[in-house]
Amino acid sequence: MSGKRDRDSDYDSRCKTVHQGYYAESTNWPPDMPDRRKKRRSRWGGDDKDKVFIPGMPTVLPNNLSGNQERAYLLQLQIEEISRRLRTGDLGIPPNPEDRSPSPEPIYNSEGKRLNTREYRTRKRLEDERHTLIQEMYKFNTDFKPPADYK
Amino acid sequence: MQLGDKKLIVQRASVGAKNSQMNAPVQVQVPGLNLTGGAGPPTEVLCLMNMVIPEELRDEEEYEDILEDIKEECNKYGVVKSVEIPRPIEGVEVPGCGKVFVEFNSVIDCQKAQQNLTGRKFNNRVVVTSYFDPDKYHRREF
Repeated sequence: MSGKRDRDSDYDSRCKTVHQGYYAESTNWPPDMPDRRKKRRSRWGGDDKDKVFIPGMPTVLPNNLSGNQERAYLLQLQIEEISRRLRTGDLGIPPNPEDRSPSPEPIYNSEGKRLNTREYRTRKRLEDERHTLIQEMYKFNTDFKPPADYK
Repeated sequence: MQLGDKKLIVQRASVGAKNSQMNAPVQVQVPGLNLTGGAGPPTEVLCLMNMVIPEELRDEEEYEDILEDIKEECNKYGVVKSVEIPRPIEGVEVPGCGKVFVEFNSVIDCQKAQQNLTGRKFNNRVVVTSYFDPDKYHRREF
């Protein structure tokens, strides 16, 4: 029963010294890992057949938008995209543990069930990110209606 | 169709039909924004948005990495003449910071790049594109 957990915490302690402090800044991806620099992965995801398509929100814009319109549009697009990911469970957790950031110490509830699972942490991060974006969106549109599953 | 004392309703099954209201087009909530005009006339300068945030461009090594990733990918679609990624300067509002500009050899190459890159993911963000006025680009009016 504890096999997986042991392996996890082993992995944690191995990596901790290298990546300590990474958690504070989750936008910093990929994290700086000198030993992995050489086999650096491109920041591009997927290929030209694997694209994000949000009905009603084209990703091709005219070039005559005002700065505010452009910013607001990009904000809403990100809000919609994060909402889609939360809704469909497409959390972007790399299937290969090697590509993941090291886990924090596990936290368990009174029944011994782990609370801070990777899925929980990822959802939390996406929700926080969306919250920040929605707050910024209100600056451009005070009547902005956030997604149905927000708050 | 009548089945006993009940009516049997036949519907075409499709994946995600129950969530169909989720797939309704998004209402764009940007005051005064009209996107019905499309992209406008193509140029040889492509503007890529939503790819980088200013904080990522501060670090020299990360900046070089990003530049390389973008050049490498854009070169697949045509000859890249130049790339501009405005970087943040402490205490100054840098125009175009957060955007990436790629100048191609021809309008055709630029169109090809737009078709292929728009909607892709970069650093887990959705890439948004538009054509950019070459004169403004050369005057660095980002």
